[in-house]
Amino acid sequence: MKFRRGKLCAWIVSLLIVFGITTPLPAQTRVAIGVTETMETFNPYGDSVSLLYGIWCQVMGCLGTYNFDKGDYEGMLAERWEVKDPNTWIFHLRKNARFHDGSPLTAADVVHSFNRIRTDPQSKQKQNIAPIASAAAIDNYTVSFTTKEPTAPLLEYLFDRFIVTSKAIYDKYGADVADRKYPIGAGPYKFKELIPGQRFVIARNLDYPGMKEKKQAPDEMIFRIMREPEQRVTALLNGEIQIAQFIPPHLRDRVEKHPASKIAPVDAVEIMFLAMSPKFKPWDNLLLRQAVAYAIDRDTIIATLLKGEATRLDGPIGAGQYGYDPNLKPKYEYNPQKARELVKQAGFPNGVDVDYYTPVGRYTLDKQISEALVPMLRAVGIRAKLLTPEWATLWADVQAGKTPFYYMGRGSVVDPSVALSQYFETGGSPRIGYSNPKFDKLLAQERQTFEPAKRRKVLAEAMSLLTEEAPAHFLWRHQMLYGIAKNIDYKPTPSGRMFGTEIRVLR
Amino acid sequence: MTAYLLRRLLGTLPVLLLITLLVFALLHAAPGDPASLLLSDATNEADVLEARQRWGLDRPVHVQYLKFISAAFTGDLGRSFRFAQPVTELIAARLPATIELAALAVLLALGVAIPLGVWAGARPNSWVDNLGTSVGLFGISMPNFWMGIMLILLFAGTFHLLPSAGRSTYGVAGSQESGFYLLGSLAAGNWPAVKDALMYMVMPALTLGANMVGILMRITRSSVLEVSHEEYVVTARAKGLAQRSVVWRHVLSNALIPIVTVAGLELGTLLSGSIIVETVFAWPGVGSLLITGVTSRDYPLVTGLVLMYAATFVVINLAIDALYAIIDPRIRY
Repeated sequence: MKFRRGKLCAWIVSLLIVFGITTPLPAQTRVAIGVTETMETFNPYGDSVSLLYGIWCQVMGCLGTYNFDKGDYEGMLAERWEVKDPNTWIFHLRKNARFHDGSPLTAADVVHSFNRIRTDPQSKQKQNIAPIASAAAIDNYTVSFTTKEPTAPLLEYLFDRFIVTSKAIYDKYGADVADRKYPIGAGPYKFKELIPGQRFVIARNLDYPGMKEKKQAPDEMIFRIMREPEQRVTALLNGEIQIAQFIPPHLRDRVEKHPASKIAPVDAVEIMFLAMSPKFKPWDNLLLRQAVAYAIDRDTIIATLLKGEATRLDGPIGAGQYGYDPNLKPKYEYNPQKARELVKQAGFPNGVDVDYYTPVGRYTLDKQISEALVPMLRAVGIRAKLLTPEWATLWADVQAGKTPFYYMGRGSVVDPSVALSQYFETGGSPRIGYSNPKFDKLLAQERQTFEPAKRRKVLAEAMSLLTEEAPAHFLWRHQMLYGIAKNIDYKPTPSGRMFGTEIRVLR
Repeated sequence: MTAYLLRRLLGTLPVLLLITLLVFALLHAAPGDPASLLLSDATNEADVLEARQRWGLDRPVHVQYLKFISAAFTGDLGRSFRFAQPVTELIAARLPATIELAALAVLLALGVAIPLGVWAGARPNSWVDNLGTSVGLFGISMPNFWMGIMLILLFAGTFHLLPSAGRSTYGVAGSQESGFYLLGSLAAGNWPAVKDALMYMVMPALTLGANMVGILMRITRSSVLEVSHEEYVVTARAKGLAQRSVVWRHVLSNALIPIVTVAGLELGTLLSGSIIVETVFAWPGVGSLLITGVTSRDYPLVTGLVLMYAATFVVINLAIDALYAIIDPRIRY
């Protein structure tokens, strides 16, 4: 019996050694994130929302990203880049970049990706390569992009947006099979599972350079669709998810008071403004537009309605956004007396009646904010009538340039060049209908200024002119609140992208 | 009966056509351009025009409708603007989730409402009747979105017994090929996956079925009560049959026609209710797909889904008609 027991023990010990059970394996860490965007397509180019750009960037790989802490761009697949001449950008790829199947990522893959973004019928990302006329592989690890005209803010278009996919897999299987069956990328995370309408799962790629050192990055990330804020908060407090996107202000307390969760705020890169289209009367009157800017008490709205969860804008952009100048002039302080005088000087001694449009439920407390703005405007003689059309109607009218005075947001403003051009440059879009040759000239100049310090200066001059002219009164950037489990260390980014490499699981 | 059913089936075609025409017209009449809603804010006007052209939105509405309807006859409901996939594929991928949810909701509703209704009808004004009436009124009165949120707060938020939203746990879920998680897991004998599927289904199914419970319970009660006074029931009792036998064999079988009729109608209501319930519970079925389609003015997707809902409703009603003949042999077609 003794012999048998000894033999049994020996067997067990041998088995434990053979199967490595004596040294406990580190537990897999899994971070589930409740997100608001729906995820439906296997095509990395089939959607154009910030969250999915972030996920595909991690799986397939992106040329680069914007580092909000540094306030500058940094490479991912591209290790460096240069402007050869005003119309030619050269990107040098990392030579150790490899797809998850071990094959090297080359310039041919980048050119293929450019062509696919441009020609894939499902592509919703054509706007990201709009300034580029052509792409060419110079050698295996060097790509050149030729722009249609000098475009200094090209990185704003490409970084965090330009997803690189494998040419070889595409050529072998075609778009649909390649996307569905072989989602093999070269990013720091690998594709694990996508169930349309439910979840997207990615797993850590230890072969990615520097990934082994990031020991606290989650082994798996599960993006779960939870469109309702109550769902996300309940799931967070129930331990089903570890990060909940976009907690509305009224649910903040529930998250903060729970012992296992916390709130992490971040200033979004979405700028909120009041548009006053100068192509409509009475908004062709500069003094009236400026009166609006003086009439609105942004600080009170931020402190009361928004409970401090917004950052005031003095100019089109704020801290952390490219080209931000804290000394930008003019700064419109709340001054109803001055606003009243400006209304009179504008030729409206008895005040003026205007229609004011606001979306409902599109932006944080949009309707409530607009309801607070109306009496402020009325107090200075601008009798605003609040109109609340359904979003689809309002947006169609705004895009067609049919709405004279409205509350709106413009998202994804890291480098403001594109947004400024789209809303305020002559011919940019009919949304506001502002036209000023001096402003157009400044924008054209900044696009052709490749030296960053000089470009920032020109941008600041353009933004100062725009603030002075007030075709839009810039209000604030909302703070986005993220609910986060206390065992997770994560600082949300203003753009809403969620990189696993920026998440630490505290074991 | 086959001829009758075929006739009825053919008769539904104009109804379905009319529905698609109505939905198509309403969608196009509603303000909001799909191209500007679906493309990125940074998209230029040329891309918007190109998308409109690609989706056929540059053509007259009647041309778009004729193209849709002629393709629909071949089973092609077009491609979704939002998801750039065939609408039939999108529906097929999401339908199993809705079917499983609706089936469990119906089972729960029938399992609660009929026994309770029969019991209440057989013993009017007893405590069982009062309880049944209360349950019925509760089910009828509660808006399902409110009930869903309350269940989430209670069972997920407070007691942490059930998951708050979604359909399955990553790594546990069973058969994903067919889309029928519960049935697939049951067939495969994958018990952890069965448990997982049920954990996710129970709250949405209860929410979805609550209204049906209320109405069915009330109908069953009144129908049983009415039949209980028929002479053949009195005769059965006079013959000395046990109460259970009288109620289940003589009363219920004769009280079934109104119950089945209302159950059929309620199935239609349940399908429309699933749109809200799926949103509340982040359930990835056709209801939540319809919400996405409507908010993004995805004309082919919305028209395809409404057509599917209408066809389902018609088929259910047809099945109910067929059931009449089985329940009551006196009914002939």
